[in-house]
Amino acid sequence: MSQELSTPDQWLGLYGDALYRYALARVRDPDLAADLLQETLLAALKAKDSFMGQASELTWMTGILKHKMIDYFRKTSRERTNTMGDEGSDHENSGFFDEKGNWQIDLSSWSMPDKALEQEEFMAILQQCIDRLPPKLARVFMLRELEGMESGEICDVMCISSLNNFWVMLSRVRVQLRHCLDLNWFSH
Amino acid sequence: MLTCKEASFLASKKMDGTLAWREEMALRLHVGMCNMCRRYLRGLKSLRVMMRGSSAEGKTLLSANVKLSEQARERIEQALNKASDFHE
Repeated sequence: MSQELSTPDQWLGLYGDALYRYALARVRDPDLAADLLQETLLAALKAKDSFMGQASELTWMTGILKHKMIDYFRKTSRERTNTMGDEGSDHENSGFFDEKGNWQIDLSSWSMPDKALEQEEFMAILQQCIDRLPPKLARVFMLRELEGMESGEICDVMCISSLNNFWVMLSRVRVQLRHCLDLNWFSH
Repeated sequence: MLTCKEASFLASKKMDGTLAWREEMALRLHVGMCNMCRRYLRGLKSLRVMMRGSSAEGKTLLSANVKLSEQARERIEQALNKASDFHE
């Protein structure tokens, strides 16, 4: 398979926005997303001779970006682990269940959007719901559902002390997201 | 008999690994009788399909009109140029 490879001075124009969006959707901070993009392009420049063109250039660079992002998460979750603690507590979900453990909120009957335009609107609302989560929980959820990373790997990257804490965190996130989507998407 | 709170936890855990046999049975029993939890479990699966689908197509949750700012673009351009000179 041969394909035309671009030169590094074309990269920013060709892939800059797509890579930036990939990063921004995950780290939710424009400056940080731009920094990760810069690191990615610099790393790609260094490694360009070893890129054989098996994948598309964008796929190759997205892989580099993903690694840069995970490195960043790994580093910051270690720095912040003390201030972001209390990960195992589930008291924040108490508003969703009564004291007997029954649902206290109404769950609407879902049908997922199937048209492209509706899907885009749905994703925008989902993103807003994710943005309301505490940052660490949002990252954990994103690594699991968007990146499809395995549980143990996420615990390692995000400095989560046990699998049980991980399950508690994700369960909390999913109930919160469910409620947010019920209110903002499925009820309209 | 599980409470809905416990069932929602097991439903979520099931999305991230395998339940112990005992947990699996307890969840099935509860979901078989509880409409709300059945909806909840179904919703978790749909949400996963949507999210994995969107990332597999290389799309992001952001729409295509989100773009890199001009300042950032210039800054990155300069850094790339500097590094290219260095590598040549």
